[in-house]
Amino acid sequence: MSSTTKTSPVRPGASKAGGEAGRLLARLRLSRGFAWLVLFVIILVTLFPFFWILRTALTTNSSLFTGDQSMLPPEPTLVNFRRVLGLATDEEVRAAGGSGAELRFWLYLRNSVVFSTLVTVGQVTSCAMAAYAFARLKWRGRDAVFYVFLSSLMVPPVFILIPNFILLSDLDLLDTFAGLVAPFIFMTPFMVFFLRQFFLGISSELEEAARLDGAGHVRIFARICVPVMAAPLTTAAILAYVIAWNEFMWPLVAGNDPSVRVLTVGLSVFRSGQPQAAPDWSGLMAATVLGALPVILLFLLMGRRIVDSIQFTGIK
Amino acid sequence: MQLRRARPAVAPLCTAALVLTAACGGGSGSDDDVTLAYWLWDDRQIAQYQQCADDFTAETGVEVDISQYGWEDYWSNLNTQFAARRAPDVFTNHLAFYPQFVANEVILPIDEYIEQDEVDLGQYFPGLADLWVGQDDQRYGLPKDWDTIAYGYNAEYLEDAGLTEDDLWNATWDPSDGGTFEEIIASLSVDVNGVRGNEPGFDADNVAVFGLSFDNPSNSASGQTSWGNFAHSLGFELLADGNPWGTDYQFDDPRLAETLDWFGRMIEAGYVTPLSDLQGVGYVSLFEAGDVALAINGSWAIGSLTGIDGIEVGFAPLPEGPQGRWSIYNGIADSIAVNTDHPDEAWQWVKHLGSVECQNIVGEHAVVFPAIPESLEIAEEVRADAGLDVSAYTTYLEEEATFLHPVTTNFDQVTQAVGSAVDEILLGSRPAAEALQEAQEQVDSIMGR
Amino acid sequence: MRERWQRLRQHQGAVASLFLLPAGFGFAIFYLWPSLRALYMSFTDYSLLRGEGELVGLQNYEDMIADPLFWQSMRVTGLYVLINIVVQTILALLIAVMMDRLTRSVIIRGILVLPWLIPQVVVGLLWLWMLDPRLGVVNHLLNVVGIGSQGFLGSPDQVVPSLAGINTWRFVGYTALLLFAGLQMIPKHLYESAALDGAGEIRMFFRVTLPLLRPVLALVLVLSVVGSFQVFDLVQVATGGIGGQPGGPADSSLVIYVYIFRQAFNFNNAGYAAAMSAVLAVLLALVTVLIMRGLRGSRSDLA
Repeated sequence: MSSTTKTSPVRPGASKAGGEAGRLLARLRLSRGFAWLVLFVIILVTLFPFFWILRTALTTNSSLFTGDQSMLPPEPTLVNFRRVLGLATDEEVRAAGGSGAELRFWLYLRNSVVFSTLVTVGQVTSCAMAAYAFARLKWRGRDAVFYVFLSSLMVPPVFILIPNFILLSDLDLLDTFAGLVAPFIFMTPFMVFFLRQFFLGISSELEEAARLDGAGHVRIFARICVPVMAAPLTTAAILAYVIAWNEFMWPLVAGNDPSVRVLTVGLSVFRSGQPQAAPDWSGLMAATVLGALPVILLFLLMGRRIVDSIQFTGIK
Repeated sequence: MQLRRARPAVAPLCTAALVLTAACGGGSGSDDDVTLAYWLWDDRQIAQYQQCADDFTAETGVEVDISQYGWEDYWSNLNTQFAARRAPDVFTNHLAFYPQFVANEVILPIDEYIEQDEVDLGQYFPGLADLWVGQDDQRYGLPKDWDTIAYGYNAEYLEDAGLTEDDLWNATWDPSDGGTFEEIIASLSVDVNGVRGNEPGFDADNVAVFGLSFDNPSNSASGQTSWGNFAHSLGFELLADGNPWGTDYQFDDPRLAETLDWFGRMIEAGYVTPLSDLQGVGYVSLFEAGDVALAINGSWAIGSLTGIDGIEVGFAPLPEGPQGRWSIYNGIADSIAVNTDHPDEAWQWVKHLGSVECQNIVGEHAVVFPAIPESLEIAEEVRADAGLDVSAYTTYLEEEATFLHPVTTNFDQVTQAVGSAVDEILLGSRPAAEALQEAQEQVDSIMGR
Repeated sequence: MRERWQRLRQHQGAVASLFLLPAGFGFAIFYLWPSLRALYMSFTDYSLLRGEGELVGLQNYEDMIADPLFWQSMRVTGLYVLINIVVQTILALLIAVMMDRLTRSVIIRGILVLPWLIPQVVVGLLWLWMLDPRLGVVNHLLNVVGIGSQGFLGSPDQVVPSLAGINTWRFVGYTALLLFAGLQMIPKHLYESAALDGAGEIRMFFRVTLPLLRPVLALVLVLSVVGSFQVFDLVQVATGGIGGQPGGPADSSLVIYVYIFRQAFNFNNAGYAAAMSAVLAVLLALVTVLIMRGLRGSRSDLA
């Protein structure tokens, strides 16, 4: 925990003196206690399915439904993780209810990292510039253009997917990283919207001071806005990364070749292979854990940086 | 259109050249390094087709690049690839989808190839090859496997109920009193207090083991793995004007209503899993958990029931109705996309997939039933060696008790309309006759009648 | 003075176009153009398989008005959006305020956002299983505490609330994180002076937090509404059971985007699907404008 814990101004000491303070203190303790309880319940509900993912990943398919709903895996095993990593023998795979599909986990992991990193860097840079233009610059038709950008959020992704697929096919860019990142690297309506809304909240004082000093827009953007916006930009970057990491439909159709196949597509073999068949539950859950681990780590490492890396109070 | 006609006209010439020189470059006529893209959806079948592909490459020098996508992603991905004219050269096709491909002229007819190479269509099980003849009398695929429907049963539960395998094999059914089959599923059902369905005091609301379960019936307008075979054993025909390519569905036939009413009654009686349970993880998992004694199961899914620890599984054919014992008969085939650059090599690959050589390999892997009788024997031997008797599925062929899976345009739209009506009936929220009448009206308008 | 202002404006316009260049390029090629194509498609009988279609005028729109499934799916979607937005926004706001005022633990923040890190398809399958009427762990627990089994996704009455619940589980932490980020933009001294005036937590929330959160709240609401209207993967995977037709039982969870997808990919009526998408897009645009206007989402009291 960082030092920011102390920012809560509603400390007993800060409130008015006198007999009221005692009652206020008691009420505060009570309501804080209640708030903690609510938070605890929310965390419990949030985490329980993850417990279930782990339980399933540590159980073989054949004993999944015979374990009589026990909370712990009836016979814990790591075979599912070995299957996902391609370390299990053919016999083990078949005994665990798996298929003969080839899974090159490390290659797909690398591809996912390349894809998500390229998308994040490109998208955040170009969307931050666009958001600056929409939030901090004054020009004719600004809001109208913004709404046009925003309107692309309303079109179901399927209808964007197909023309883009045809375009990149014509450009002969399918099965390359260039083709894979193309629809995302310049912008997504979400990212422009997100950053614009946060850029709206910056105090204009610093900007004006800089302008009086004769700074140009590029300098204001790079030297003032970007540092001030470090927190939302970091948040945006992480959101972009996670969204790219979980992207499925586009990489499925546009990146079939193993050299560019990303993890979500690679791991989809653990969904049902046949019509009307149940998924390979254990493999799917083990794959989910391994597939999500990188973004969970990223989040924990960068989590501290999200949103509270800067004190906005210092600006005004 | 032009594109589609032009290619087969040129193709046989090239095929002839291939036979003579074994060095034909393919449709584009460029070089010898041809790689075909081949798609399938069943992950458990990758190994067998990889083996076929290796043999094929050794024989012809043509490489085959196999890609597998799960059933849920397979068709949308394929549609998208078609939209960009990048569909795989050869792909595994399904009866529910292929009429669309024919109607939109995106798969190649192979008649001229068949004639050219003198492929013997009589080598396949009867009826399978004809499923793939379009309304235009052209052929769009060569058979590679087939399936029928039977039960998987929990042998221990059968014994506990005092029943034998013969009781199942000789079961009779009719919708008025349910025949011996209703007695069987009643005695197989057990409530939480251990009372059986045929004993007084059976608690239909708290059932521990259901006599019968099956797939969610909303997945197919043919009722392939649920009501379809039962209704057919009353003499019900899905299409009045013949199959394949009929358009006159008869969901308002009273025999279908009787059948579905019987299923509805069985659910109410606690002998059959209720619809809400069918909307969950599915009958295979219920079977695994020991909550089900009999499960209607397609032959492609034999492996899902046999691999369960601690449950001894047997298979028995569906019961005999007033008009006999029947199973729906469905076949899979490989089709060639019209956008392929190598139609001749693609055809060679399709032909190889449907050949005895490759079919024997399919038989050895014993995942599905091969389309050639000789290869089927291999599959049966492999299973017998593993102590598994699957004659319940093959008996229909011997008894000539199969009827073809419907092949019609708009099958998915029909499924949407009928699936919803069947849901309502099984939920008990509407009488069968009424719900089916309404579904029939929708289906008529879908079929343009 | 006037001249200078004019010059500044012109200057800013030039700068803006420069700043918009990369995003504008991506927008024009990968969003605007396909959207226009989709709109054009809606006046044709476009088929994905053929990759083309002929103009049919307003036929698709007329068909839509007469299509009971279109209206059914709009009703289902409306109900889903309503439950989702109300529950999710209130809960997210509560969590965000707690993250801000109660604890700033990165671990807690990380835990709450965990569900969002899991792909939607896996979320759907996971809950389908956990909520299974017979084998699901949730019903097992409900039985243990004596509430008894619920149909959840298998019951026509409970399926939409269940879906909204799953969606809330997945997104509430993420939504709370966005709101939390917005809360950080609010200068702390405003709380301090409000506290000095003797305002309690609740009054501070309404007097300080809510008004200053407007731009971010508008963002969150628009994203949630649009996202809920376009719910797809979850319904496609979690309803109808394993192997059944999504949208069941008896079309009670057939949301509009599942129906659009089915028309485009299963029924091969991409033109009709495009027409429904166009109507949906217009509807969403209207709702967005309403939210942005209502919350004055384009203006910040801070700036």
